[in-house]
Amino acid sequence: MPVLRGNPTAPKALVLGLLAGLFGMQGAAASDTSGTMRVGDMQYGNGLDPRGWTPMLYPADPDGMSYLHAGMLRTPTGALYPYPPLVEPAKPLGQSDWTYAGLLDFGYLHVGGDRNAEYFRQYDGWKNGAVLGLFALDFNNRKTGGYVDFRGSRVSGNDQFYRLRAGKYGSYRLEGFYRDMPHTVSTSAYPIWNGVGSTNLTLPASLVPGASTPVQVAAVSAAQPRRDIGLTRTRAGLSYEGTLYRNWIGSAGITNEKRTGTRLWGGSMFFNYPFPDNGGVLETVRPIDFRTTDVNLSLRNVGKLWHFLATYNGSFFRNHKDHLDFASPFALWNVVGTPQVADIKNGQFSLEPDNDYHNIRLDLSRELQGNGQFTIAGAWGTMRQNAALLPPTSCTGVGGIFIAPPVDYTFQCANWNTTAALSQRNANARIDTGLIDARATFRPTPTFSWHAGLRWYREDNKTRYLAYNPLTGQYGYISENGSQGSIVPGESGIFDPTNPLYWSSNVTVRNVPFGYTDSILELGSDWQIGRKTSLGVTYTYDHNQPKYRERTRVDDQRIKFDWVSRDVIGATVRLSWEYAKRDGDRYHYDPYEQFFSESLTGFVDPAVGLAAHTVADMRKYDLSDRTESKARAIITYPWGESTTLSATFYGNRDNYDTLIGRQDTRTTGATLQWDWQPTPATTLNAYLGIEGSRMGIANVADNEALVGANIDQTNPNLGGPLYPYANRWWEYDREGNRNAGLSFSHDFGRMRADLSYNYTGSTGHVGYTYDTIGALAYRDPAGVAAAGAGFPDNKYRTNTLDLGLSFRVNRNVGVRLYGRYQTGAFSDWHYAGFEQTLSYDHRIYTDKGGQLHYDVSMLGLMLNLKL
Amino acid sequence: MMRVFSLLLVVAWCAAMAIAGLLSESPDAYAQEAAATGPVAAAPAAHSPASKLTQSDIARMLPATDMGAGDGMGRENPHLAAMRDSPATPFDGASIPVNPLAPNADAVGAKTCVACHAQENVQASHSLHVASFRAGAAHTGPQAACESCHGPGSVHAKDPTAPGSIIAFTHDAKTSPQVQAGVCLSCHAGGARQHWVGSIHQNRGLSCTDCHNPMAKLSPEGVLAKASINEVCSTCHQDIRAKFNRRSHMPLPEGQMACTDCHNPHGSITKPLLKTDTVNETCYGCHAEKRGPFLFEHAPVRANCLNCHDVHGSNQQTLLVAPIPMLCQQCHTMTRHPNDLQTSASLGIGPHPDERLMGRGCLSCHTNIHGSNNPSGPKFHK
Repeated sequence: MPVLRGNPTAPKALVLGLLAGLFGMQGAAASDTSGTMRVGDMQYGNGLDPRGWTPMLYPADPDGMSYLHAGMLRTPTGALYPYPPLVEPAKPLGQSDWTYAGLLDFGYLHVGGDRNAEYFRQYDGWKNGAVLGLFALDFNNRKTGGYVDFRGSRVSGNDQFYRLRAGKYGSYRLEGFYRDMPHTVSTSAYPIWNGVGSTNLTLPASLVPGASTPVQVAAVSAAQPRRDIGLTRTRAGLSYEGTLYRNWIGSAGITNEKRTGTRLWGGSMFFNYPFPDNGGVLETVRPIDFRTTDVNLSLRNVGKLWHFLATYNGSFFRNHKDHLDFASPFALWNVVGTPQVADIKNGQFSLEPDNDYHNIRLDLSRELQGNGQFTIAGAWGTMRQNAALLPPTSCTGVGGIFIAPPVDYTFQCANWNTTAALSQRNANARIDTGLIDARATFRPTPTFSWHAGLRWYREDNKTRYLAYNPLTGQYGYISENGSQGSIVPGESGIFDPTNPLYWSSNVTVRNVPFGYTDSILELGSDWQIGRKTSLGVTYTYDHNQPKYRERTRVDDQRIKFDWVSRDVIGATVRLSWEYAKRDGDRYHYDPYEQFFSESLTGFVDPAVGLAAHTVADMRKYDLSDRTESKARAIITYPWGESTTLSATFYGNRDNYDTLIGRQDTRTTGATLQWDWQPTPATTLNAYLGIEGSRMGIANVADNEALVGANIDQTNPNLGGPLYPYANRWWEYDREGNRNAGLSFSHDFGRMRADLSYNYTGSTGHVGYTYDTIGALAYRDPAGVAAAGAGFPDNKYRTNTLDLGLSFRVNRNVGVRLYGRYQTGAFSDWHYAGFEQTLSYDHRIYTDKGGQLHYDVSMLGLMLNLKL
Repeated sequence: MMRVFSLLLVVAWCAAMAIAGLLSESPDAYAQEAAATGPVAAAPAAHSPASKLTQSDIARMLPATDMGAGDGMGRENPHLAAMRDSPATPFDGASIPVNPLAPNADAVGAKTCVACHAQENVQASHSLHVASFRAGAAHTGPQAACESCHGPGSVHAKDPTAPGSIIAFTHDAKTSPQVQAGVCLSCHAGGARQHWVGSIHQNRGLSCTDCHNPMAKLSPEGVLAKASINEVCSTCHQDIRAKFNRRSHMPLPEGQMACTDCHNPHGSITKPLLKTDTVNETCYGCHAEKRGPFLFEHAPVRANCLNCHDVHGSNQQTLLVAPIPMLCQQCHTMTRHPNDLQTSASLGIGPHPDERLMGRGCLSCHTNIHGSNNPSGPKFHK
C-alpha cells in the first residue's frame, strides 16, 4: 500500500536523471507489491473453489453500500459492483491491538461415475475422501498495520496450496507458499513398455527388440492395463518486498518448482507407411523430472517526477532425466532386398537440457512539461546451456545396408556411438537478447494527447555447431538412430567427400542460429470529443529482420482507430478497428544451403541434381505478405438500477498473398451477458457466446517419381514437373464454438442456494479439395474412394451443473452441501479406431485419446467453522 | 534505403521531442494532469440522494469540521506536519489531491464525510485500502482517509448534489478517468504500474475502479471490483474467458491460474500487456524447458510460441492453432512425405492408416519439435 513523499529532484538531462535515479532520487515511495510484474503464482485455487477464497466471502449486507441511494453503484464503465458483504468484525486477540478472523471449511467429497475421464480431471486432483476446502487465518493490527495471513486448501495430495503472508501495510511483506498442481495428460494410456517414467523403456518379456511381429505387439498392447499419464507441478517460494531505505523499495523472491510425472512422446524407427511390415512408429512415454529455480530481484524509487525500476530475473532449469532410450519391437528390412546386416532395435531422444537465464532491466520514467511522460526501458538477457551432448547414435554393431562390393552403405556404430564422434562435446548454446523501449506521451491540451514510441529488440543466437566426426572424417549424423540408413541405402545421414557413395549426400551439417532484430515505431494521438467520448488513432511500423530465414526484412504497417464513448444511449461502447499490411524484401525459398553438406568442399552434385528444397511459391505464414483487419466492439449497458447488459462483437480477417502456404484466417464472434442483482440477497447471471473461425491453406504434392531420379527434380517452380499444378490441394479448418452459462444465487436467511450451469460445445471440421488425385497421399481406388471431402467432425462438449446449499447452523457453524453433475462428449479423428486397437502394422500407439462420452457426479458435504 | 532513412528521421524526431521535454521543468505533473481535464459539460451527480432532503437540509446536518476549515490545498498539508512527529505507517503521508472541478475546495475531514456516508464508512472500514489508511492515521487523527482519494470536500459538503464537487470514481461521475487514475497513481505510481501511461487500458479510458473497489471488501485480497481476478478481467474480455473452456487450455477455470499470471493489466512495454519483454519469455516463465537454446532450433518456435499455439484455448491438442498435420503443412512443402494431402483414407479406420495423420501425427517422429539437443536431431527426430 502506498505513500507519497515529495521533494523531487529535477535533473536536466537523461544521463543525469539516470544517475539521480540510481544514487540520489528522493521521490515518493509506494510500497505496493510487485506481483503483477512477475509471471506466475498470482492465483491460488482449485476446481472445488476456483477463486480460492469463496468461503471467505460473507453474505451481502442487506443495507447495501449506502443509505443515500438504493442499489449498487457501477464501475466507470457501467458494470454493477456486487453488493458489499456483511463483514463480521474481527475478534480481539487478548488485550493487544491485534485482531483475528479465522475460517475452517472441510468435509468429504465423493466422486462417482466416469471419474477418470480425461477432461473431467485435466487440472483437478479429484478423489474420494476428506478435503480441506479452505483454512484461512488472518491477524491484523489496527494501529500498526501489521498483518499475518494464512490460506490453505487441499483437494488431494497433488492438488493443494498453502500460503503465508506477513508484514505491515505500506512497509514490507513476507510471503511463503507451497502448492501442488496436477496436470492429467491422458487417462486412457496403454504403453507396452516397462520402465514408464524412467529414461529407459524396455519391452516386456513376451516381445523381442527388433524381432517381434505386429501381431505379437498388438497382443501385448491389448493386454496392458489402463494407466494415467500426467504430471504434478510442485512449487514453493519465498519472497520479501519492502522499504529498504527512505524511498527505496526492494523485493526479492525465490521460487522452486519441481515437475514430476510423464508425458506422451514419440519414437521414430523410420516410416512405416511407404514400407509395409517395415520401419517403426512408436508412441512412447517420456519422463518428466524437472526442477526450475527462479530468482527475482527488484529495486525501485518512485518520485513525483522520476520513477525508477531495476529488475533482475534469473531462471535455472534442471532436467534430471535428460534423455530417453526406448526399445523398438519391430524388425527393420532394407528396401533393396539384400540380407539385413544392421541390428537397429533401439531409439534415443535427447530431452531438454539444463539451461540458465539471466535478465537485467532498467525502467526509467519522467514526468514532462506539457502533461507528458517519457519512459525508457533497457534490458539485457542471456539464455545459455552447455549440456554434454549425447553421441550421434546409441546403436551397437553395424548399421546401414550392404549391397555388394563396393556398394557398402554400412557404418560401424562404434565410430558414432561415442562422444569422440563429435566435433564438440558440449552444446555451448547461447542466445543473448537486448531491448530498448522508449515512449513519450504528452497531453498538451485537455482534449488532445499524442504519443510516440520506439522499441528495439534483438535475439542474437551465438550457438554454432558443426556436425563433423573426427573419428571418420565424415560430416553429418546418424538419422533416427540408424534406422533410416538401414532401410534406405545411403540415407544414414552421412556426408563423406572422399566416398563416392556419400559425396552427394545433402545432409544437415550445421545448426541454424535463428535470431532476429525487431524495431517498432509507434505514433498515436487521442482526441477527447466532449466529456464522454474519445477518438484515438495509432500508426505502428514494425520492421523485423530475421536471420537465416526466407526474408531478411519483414515490414508490418498498422493503423488502428479507437473510439470510446461512455454515453451511447447510456451505454459505454468501446470500438476498435485496425488494418495492417505486411510485406518485405524478396522471398528466398531456400536460404539454408549453407547449413547443408552441399556447401562443403568436396560435395559432388549428383547427375540428376538435388531435389528442390521446397516449392518456390511457398510463403511461410510468419513471413509472407499479408493484409489484416480486426474489429472489436465492447458494449456495457446499465439497464435500470439492478441490471447490466454487456456484449462483445469481434472479428479478424487475415489474407496471405501466396499460392502455397496459409491462405487466410477468419474469426467472427459475439458474446452476450446479463447480470441482475435486484437485492442484496439475489443475483442472476446469464451468458451466451458464439464464435466461428476458419483457416485455409494451400499446398502441392510433389511428383515423387522424379526425386532422386530425374534432373527435373531441381525445378522448384509451381507448375513445373516436380510441383505440377495438377497436384495442388487446399484444406481448411472450420470451427464453431458455443458457450452458455447461467448462475443464480439467493440467500433465504439461514440458507443460501447457489446454482450454476455451464455449456461448452465445439465442433471442428477439416475439409479439403484437390485438382487431381495426384495430390493425394493414396491414389489407389480404395484410397481415392475413402478420401471424400473432409475428415469426420471433431467435437468437444461439456455440460456442467453445480448446486450448492449452505445452511447457517449458528453464527459460527455452517454446513454446505455441494453437488456437481457433468457430462462430456469428445471425438477427434486423430484417434479414430484407437478404441479397437492401438496397433497398426509397425505402428504402436499408447494413448486412446479422451473418452468419447462420460458422465460424472460429485457430492460434497462441508462443515464451515468460523474460528 | 528510403525506408531506413525515413525510420531514422522519425527516430531522430522522437528523440528530439523527448529530450526537449526532458529539459523542461515540470513542477507537478499530476496536478497538471488533473487540471488538464478542464471544464466539462454538466452531468448527473454521482451520489444523488434517494431521500427528499434538500441541500440546505444536508448542509445543516453536517458536523463541524474536525481539521480546520479553510486550510485548503495550496497551503501546507496538515498531514505532513503530523507525519514528521509520528512513527506511524507511511500512509500518514497520503496527500489530498486537487479536484479540478472544484479547485477552491477545502478539506473538511473524515468525520464530516461520515455524517452522511455512514454506510459507506462501514463498508470501507472492512476494505484493506481504508483499513490500512486508518492504521496509518492512528497517530495523526482521522482526517486522512476519505479526502485522500476524493479530494477536499468542502464544496461537496455545501452542495452535495453539485456534479463534480467531489472526485468520484463511479459510472456517473463527472470526474474524468484520467483524473481518477491520477488520484490512485499519486500513491500507487511506479513498480508494476510504471507503464500505465500509454497502455491499452489507459487508452481505452479505463479507470482503476473498473477493476478495483477500495470502498468495500468485495474480494478478500487485491481490493478487486469482483470476487476474483479472473471475474474482473472477464467483465470485458468475455470471449477470452470463454476460450478457456475449450478442450485444451491452461488451468484458469480450475483456479490454478489468473490472467495476471501472464498479463500486467496496469501496463507493460508490450501491447498485450505481457509481464516480460516478449511472448516467448512469458511462456518460458512456466515452461522453462522450452527455453533452451537448443543445438537445433525450429524457426517458428524460436520466433514466437503463438505461431503454433493459441494460449487462451484451443480445440486441438496442446493449444495448437490447427490440427496436425495441417498445422505443419502450412510451411512444409518439401519433397516426399510432407506435402501429400492426407485424407480420411489415412485414418485408423481408413484403408491406409498413416502415421503422418494418426495420434500425434507429425510429432510421432519429429517429437522434439521445440528443439533438439541431440547431434542427430536436425529434424527433431532425436
